[in-house]
Amino acid sequence: MVPVRYNTRSLLVRKITTTLTAAGIALVVFVFAAAQMFGEGAKRAMLASGRADSVIILRKGSDAELSSGIGNDYKKLGDLPGVAQVAGVGAIGEIVIVITAELADGSGGISNVLVRGTPPEGLAFRPEVKIVSGRAPKPGTNEVIVGKAISGRFKGVGPGQSFELRRNRPLQVVGEFTAAGASYESEVWGDLDVIRKYLGRESVVSSVRVRLTDSSKFEAYRMAVEADKVFSVKAMRERDYYRKQSEGTQFLVYGFTGIAILFSLAAMLGAAITMNGAVANRTREIGTLRALGFSRGSILVSFVLEAMLLTLIGGTAGVVLVQILSLFSFRTMNFMTFSDVVITFQATPGIVIGALVFSAVMGLLGGLIPAIRASRVSPVEAMRG
Amino acid sequence: MNVATYPTRNLFRRRGRTILTLIAIALTVLIFNVLRTCDHGWQVGAEEAAKDRLATRHKVSITMQLPKRYIDDLRDPAKLPGIKAATWANWFGGKDPRERVPFFAAFAADHLSWFEVMDEMKVEPAALDAWKQTNNGAILGDVLAKTLGVKVGDDLTITSDIYPGDWKFKVVGIYMPLRKTADRNSMVFRWDYLNNKLHENPQSATPKDQIGWVMSRIDDPSKSAEISRSIDKMFDERDDQTVTMSERAFQLSFLGGASAIINAFKWVSLGILLIMLLILANTVAMSVRERTHEYGVLRAIGFSPRYVFNFIMGEAVLVALLGGLAGVLLTMVLINGVVGPFIEENMGAFFPYFRTPMHVFGLALIGAVVVGVISGVVPAIGASRRKVTDALRRVD
Repeated sequence: MVPVRYNTRSLLVRKITTTLTAAGIALVVFVFAAAQMFGEGAKRAMLASGRADSVIILRKGSDAELSSGIGNDYKKLGDLPGVAQVAGVGAIGEIVIVITAELADGSGGISNVLVRGTPPEGLAFRPEVKIVSGRAPKPGTNEVIVGKAISGRFKGVGPGQSFELRRNRPLQVVGEFTAAGASYESEVWGDLDVIRKYLGRESVVSSVRVRLTDSSKFEAYRMAVEADKVFSVKAMRERDYYRKQSEGTQFLVYGFTGIAILFSLAAMLGAAITMNGAVANRTREIGTLRALGFSRGSILVSFVLEAMLLTLIGGTAGVVLVQILSLFSFRTMNFMTFSDVVITFQATPGIVIGALVFSAVMGLLGGLIPAIRASRVSPVEAMRG
Repeated sequence: MNVATYPTRNLFRRRGRTILTLIAIALTVLIFNVLRTCDHGWQVGAEEAAKDRLATRHKVSITMQLPKRYIDDLRDPAKLPGIKAATWANWFGGKDPRERVPFFAAFAADHLSWFEVMDEMKVEPAALDAWKQTNNGAILGDVLAKTLGVKVGDDLTITSDIYPGDWKFKVVGIYMPLRKTADRNSMVFRWDYLNNKLHENPQSATPKDQIGWVMSRIDDPSKSAEISRSIDKMFDERDDQTVTMSERAFQLSFLGGASAIINAFKWVSLGILLIMLLILANTVAMSVRERTHEYGVLRAIGFSPRYVFNFIMGEAVLVALLGGLAGVLLTMVLINGVVGPFIEENMGAFFPYFRTPMHVFGLALIGAVVVGVISGVVPAIGASRRKVTDALRRVD
């Protein structure tokens, strides 16, 4: 086998060509890895929102809290006979609406923010929710807290600010909260009864949540709820509900991965051009190597290796650069609720390895044909010049 | 033979490299066009939307409704001069029980005035008459009717995300688009039918006599800002305040969060131009390097440095332009011919019109030429400044 050193030195000699080609690969890998990191961030936000032992109940036919409605007798869902529910928690009925808010970046753009009215037990129901600034809202008042991810992104929806649900019925932001990365961090939380009164919807809640003693009891609970003729509702594991919500975001991941793959076709051509040039300029060298006794196979391997080395340099640069994105978050949309969710880019070892493999594959595919050409060089003719 | 012959003939010297570079540039131009077309498709509705039409909705939330009596205030010329006609609708959110489409736009509208205001949709007078006679009559866009496999006279059962139960309709008409951005994937049925159904069910959680939004047609499009303000001012003292805006702004208020994604597309489209630049710069750098000796010969037989500079720049720009043109042709065939119509039919809510417009083609070609100039300029300066003796000494 031809020593790898031959390849690394060859790449170093052609600094400009190597840099230009690797930079192209780096850009592709950047987009590719960014898409995966976005997908990972979205997945984590949604998974963090859903607990395995929590059940969410919506009106039959509704896919999201926003369009669902359940009458005020919902409390019964919290103590169905013979069903294993955690004692003392009961049914958490909540109201969910979206409000139109103007972006605070001065662009004049508007978007939708999800507002959740929760009963006093709602905070305790989700122990991951922590007040990080200000204080918790007083039950029965118009005080609300805003999720850290959207705090300050919209006019009126930041600490110390207020916004109106209806004329002269303002909600006052008194604090900020985090929720272990859950999508709750993109919501505003207030008092259930106050928000319902402001909206004139005292008789309904959007959704109901209950906590089971064990996640394996879900099927029994679901059957008990759906068999009850009083309610026309459906029960879902909270985790499944949020997984479904994240599907809309996943198609963005597929979209951007698709773009990255399109980009990679161009970058692969770039690598092929470079390797083609390298083979053409080094015909004499290749002839010499052949004359020294290196086989066609080892020449082929050597050039494919050089191409992969070239794209791996780019891939490594791309993977390193893309880590900067971990410092940023990206505003996108939950297509089930029309409202904004803020996603932070999350890198995992899997994504890094995947991106490096992706760059190596670009080298393999781009370098294969030039390498075959190199392996076919006849030593006698090449050395004759 | 003139001086342009040299760069032109040079293209054929390393045929493989030239072809690969041209393919790469064409591909990058295609990708650029696709991304920009997404952006354009997103914005185009605003330009194409009727200038004389205003949408009024609840100020606070897209999910909150307005009292039905607001329509009487809007229609009263004594209170609001300048409004020619007004109609209203409620969002229903159609779901096909047989799941041939995941979701479609269905709404309940005032059957007496809807198509009068939404005049980019053509409905046969006979169908409008039948609508007045049929309580549960529905009129569908031509594309949606085809997807659901229904024609005039058929029964159609759909469900809703908001209103429980099965909803049975009779198809009384099909509307045809008169403008390219008209949505062909919607279904409208009678508002009074929905409202009466809500009255029938005392348990219904949805309040009665509520309307989702109002569409008004105004006399003078230049006064739209002024009229919007006076509409909102009229309801400012009421419990439910309104916000009035252009039709496209109204559509976008549902999809506000998606604009961040479209913005990301714009940034990514600059990325692909950068890749084009890197590829072309590499090609030019390799060619110039190989020909150093040759440029020395040219200089030695009397060509001035300026000629050498022009030869290299000419070649770079020529390759960029040829690749760019190929990319434009490819876009015309692929996007405007195949993908565009497909997206319009299947993703009409996001992209009512998905064709690459002329200005994007122009932008792509300008982009290609700029890339050609940038990638040529450094090697061109380097080669033209090199001393003749140095250049001749180089034997690569």
